[in-house]
Amino acid sequence: MLHAKIIDLAKERIRPEDAEEFISSSKFGASIVFYGTVRENNENKKVTGITYDAHNEMVVKSFKEIYNEVDEKLKIKSKAVFIEHVKGYVGLGEVSIIIAIACPHRAEAYTLSRYIIEEIKKRSPIWKKEHYQNEESEWLKGNPIQAN
Amino acid sequence: MKVKLELYGASRDLSKKSFIEFNIEGKSSIKDLKKKIINYVDSNFKGNNNFKKIVEASAFCSEDNNIVSDNYIINKDQKIGIIPPIGGG
Repeated sequence: MLHAKIIDLAKERIRPEDAEEFISSSKFGASIVFYGTVRENNENKKVTGITYDAHNEMVVKSFKEIYNEVDEKLKIKSKAVFIEHVKGYVGLGEVSIIIAIACPHRAEAYTLSRYIIEEIKKRSPIWKKEHYQNEESEWLKGNPIQAN
Repeated sequence: MKVKLELYGASRDLSKKSFIEFNIEGKSSIKDLKKKIINYVDSNFKGNNNFKKIVEASAFCSEDNNIVSDNYIINKDQKIGIIPPIGGG
């Protein structure tokens, strides 16, 4: 069971209660909710906020691919996965991504949560433009995506 | 043929709009399109090296949201997305 969505902050907000509701089930004995938030410092620069950009269709596609491969790669069959990532300006301490996981047991929930965020970092076309105090904003250097 | 190059991430600095349109010859490849974009950087940004590096490091995606190789042939008017190095989350 997967929920995957890009939240355009110009139109709506990201809602932790939606994640909690999606993964809530008596089938599962372990749940983890991961929040990515904007921190105030990066490479000795005072960050004031981040603007996120995304290729919406490709991001959702990548979330689905990551979810679908978990059966085979991690042997985790029973699970609820909620992934939302924002697009737009995010201030300090605010949420940029929610990954909520529910599994029958804690070991697989921890493994799955970590796996999903690491794969998103490597594969999902999302970009960050950091804004700084007294310095010009800049797009962060990332990792190139390879053609299959 | 016309290619509407949709801009994402750092490539958004290449235009005030969210896309750039290029006229290309029939049976051009992504490699040819890249050359057009580099020429565009030369003409509009005095050959800005940072912009050129972004173009060189980028992948490209087709209208059906697949990453395509340098050899991918553009055989009709279409949208192509430029995908600079990623790093969200």
